[in-house]
Amino acid sequence: MLWTEKYSPKSFDDVLGNVKIKDAILEWIDEWLKGNTQKCMLLIGPPGTGKTTLAHLAANEFSEYIELNASDKRSYDILTNTIGEASASKSLYGEGLKLIILDEVDGIHGTEDRGGTRAINKIIKEGHQPIIMMANDPYSKRLKSLKPKCNTLVLRKVHTNSIVSLLKKICIKEGVEFEEHVVRNLAKRSNGDLRSAINDLEVIARGKNKITSEDLEFLSKKDDIVNIFDAVRTVLKSKNPRRIKDAMKVDAEPSFILELLAENIPKEYEKINELQKAYEMISLADIYLGRAFNTRAYTYWKYTYELMSLGVALSKEETYRKFSRFTNSSIFSMLSKSRGKRDLKDRVAEKMGEKLHSSKKVVKEQFPYMEIMFQNNETAYDLATYYGLTDDEVKLFRSRKIKVKKTKTKKPVSADIKSTEDSSRLKSKTKKQTHSHAKVKSSLKEEKESLKPDNKAKERKKEKQDNKKSDTEKKSDNNDKDKSQTSLFSF
Amino acid sequence: MNGPWVEKYRPKTLDEVVGQDHTISRLKRYVKEGNMPNLMFTGPAGVGKTTTAIALAKEMLGEYWRQNFLELNASDARGIDTVRNNIKSFCRLKAVGSPFRIIFLDEVDNMTKDAQHALRREMEMYTKTSSFILSCNYSSKIIDPIQSRCAIFRFTPVKGHHIIRRLEYIAEAENLNITTSAIESIVYFAEGDLRRAVNIFQASASMDEEITEESIHDVVSKAKPKDVRKIVNKALDGDFLSARELLREVMVVQGTSGEDMVTQIYQEVSRMALEDTIREDIYIKLVESIGETDYRIREGSNPRIQLEALLTKFLINAKAD
Repeated sequence: MLWTEKYSPKSFDDVLGNVKIKDAILEWIDEWLKGNTQKCMLLIGPPGTGKTTLAHLAANEFSEYIELNASDKRSYDILTNTIGEASASKSLYGEGLKLIILDEVDGIHGTEDRGGTRAINKIIKEGHQPIIMMANDPYSKRLKSLKPKCNTLVLRKVHTNSIVSLLKKICIKEGVEFEEHVVRNLAKRSNGDLRSAINDLEVIARGKNKITSEDLEFLSKKDDIVNIFDAVRTVLKSKNPRRIKDAMKVDAEPSFILELLAENIPKEYEKINELQKAYEMISLADIYLGRAFNTRAYTYWKYTYELMSLGVALSKEETYRKFSRFTNSSIFSMLSKSRGKRDLKDRVAEKMGEKLHSSKKVVKEQFPYMEIMFQNNETAYDLATYYGLTDDEVKLFRSRKIKVKKTKTKKPVSADIKSTEDSSRLKSKTKKQTHSHAKVKSSLKEEKESLKPDNKAKERKKEKQDNKKSDTEKKSDNNDKDKSQTSLFSF
Repeated sequence: MNGPWVEKYRPKTLDEVVGQDHTISRLKRYVKEGNMPNLMFTGPAGVGKTTTAIALAKEMLGEYWRQNFLELNASDARGIDTVRNNIKSFCRLKAVGSPFRIIFLDEVDNMTKDAQHALRREMEMYTKTSSFILSCNYSSKIIDPIQSRCAIFRFTPVKGHHIIRRLEYIAEAENLNITTSAIESIVYFAEGDLRRAVNIFQASASMDEEITEESIHDVVSKAKPKDVRKIVNKALDGDFLSARELLREVMVVQGTSGEDMVTQIYQEVSRMALEDTIREDIYIKLVESIGETDYRIREGSNPRIQLEALLTKFLINAKAD
């Protein structure tokens, strides 16, 4: 018998913490037994706080109970058939009340358990039987419709001190010697989850008569990252299919395992044909990963696993007797180092994409050409203005700041245009640009009216479309823009 | 000069679109009838899918086309929910000033199958008020139910003489001197992609007032991902770890795409074959491996892993003495 079962509370008095909730449940049971129909009970709390335990203790007070949890399929039909019947047919059981326990109601699956929440609502509505429901996540969408109909009780995490005292009790009963700090450490790492604390204790203490801090280290060894390197080591060092399969039971994304295996193959395999074969397996494994992702058929993952573990392992002729230092893939450090630059690229690509009617991917493909165009001062200035790039963003394409001569020849022209416009209205650059277009358009008045701030985005789009109707218009636009935006750049 | 030429010289009307005569004449019939089914534009990059969609919307919807036209990029919008919400809030409103509304959804082939199924529902829901134009590079990546709901138009790579005419038009409008051989070499490097052609042209115009064949070559070689030659050489010298590290650098830090890399590697290898620096028999083997990698990149999940695998194929004594 597992210790979690063996030492589970036998009565409400044994339950640790959550005193008020215990009282509420006891009162709820009393009322039912007195024949007063009560609202159904919803217990919400993190794992290991005693929800299921409380429900089972409550079940002892009633003549019968029925329980459904996450491992059962809970569609509308199943729920109404199994529980709905029981709930509606009170008279058949005479005076006896039948408690209905629904565990993990927030885990009712949207498609698998189609209509599950609806069924529960229906049962609550018509039922004459006591119902207790349990859930972990208080903010779950599925609870939204249930909560108002229920008597909701929120359980708190169990206090570390309470856990410590229980663990000590268990140690004493099991005849295990313990050091205070070991037990306290176990309690702390459980983070209020009593069940996991007892489980951890059982792992290190069962069948022994003493637990020490060394045992704790054994527990921390269960960490993923250590395991994943064990998996890599086994695949590269061994040719034993069973051992390899066992080692591959790591809790990590297959793409991550694939990355680490690929990284370390050349560090172990010395012959070129071994390296080629092994990488061929990696390549095939990646293809199944891609197929799984593209078609959402994750059953393909099994081929990925097989190809990258056994496939790679059997690519070597003989196992090597040498020490190899297996490392993390260099791409991870590259990724984190280059993050700033990549973010910048993304930002610029997004800005440009809006103007170019293209996705970021398509825009990035044009970056090399932009780099060349940006070497020319005038073009750079023109493009930066067009896309609305900041100085920092321009640096993506050129190392120097854009130098623009404060052109004296241009000024009179733009001043000329300005005089024909009501300059007080021209505040932002977009407004100004659009205005110069508006000016050359025949429907002048309409355009002006649409230049309110909330129309800016639309206007920007329009302006792009209207760009350059004829050459003469173009030139006046140019000068107008040039002048208005000189302030964007510092010289 | 003003803005990127790809926008400045983007055709504004269906008549201006070059090289897709068959498609355009059919689309113009829709405009004449004042009605259109859901459309799907498929074809490689830079052949005019987006341009045609916008021009069609303009002519179809008339004066108020902007209000009744929604342009969405399926690969940038975060998840199908964004796409759906955008479509929903757009389609809920009745078209004002035009017969119906048009939703242009770009790069649909980048959507997952699940998202495409969700999209199908949206397409059904709003048939009365809106028409969809979908665009993609590969129609094979689009689920059948969507394909069957659309009239499919295949855009072909733009023919050389069309590109030439367009470039000459730009040269005239910009008042630039460009030699015939320069135009021809742009056409050669553009490979039917008009956007690339115009970008090469503008880039070389920004470097020099006289545009010659040399300046085009200069642009193209500058625009190439760097270090590809080094990667290939290191691998051929048997230094796999250095080659791999450099490959990662180029792809992760510089952000070169897998497709670009594989094309560049191919070009590098074929140049070496022409210069007799690698043995002919080895060359053919390498080409086969490169081709296979090109295919696998499309199938697989991580192009870099595929290219690393390709590099192991270079670890042979390939250099001609």
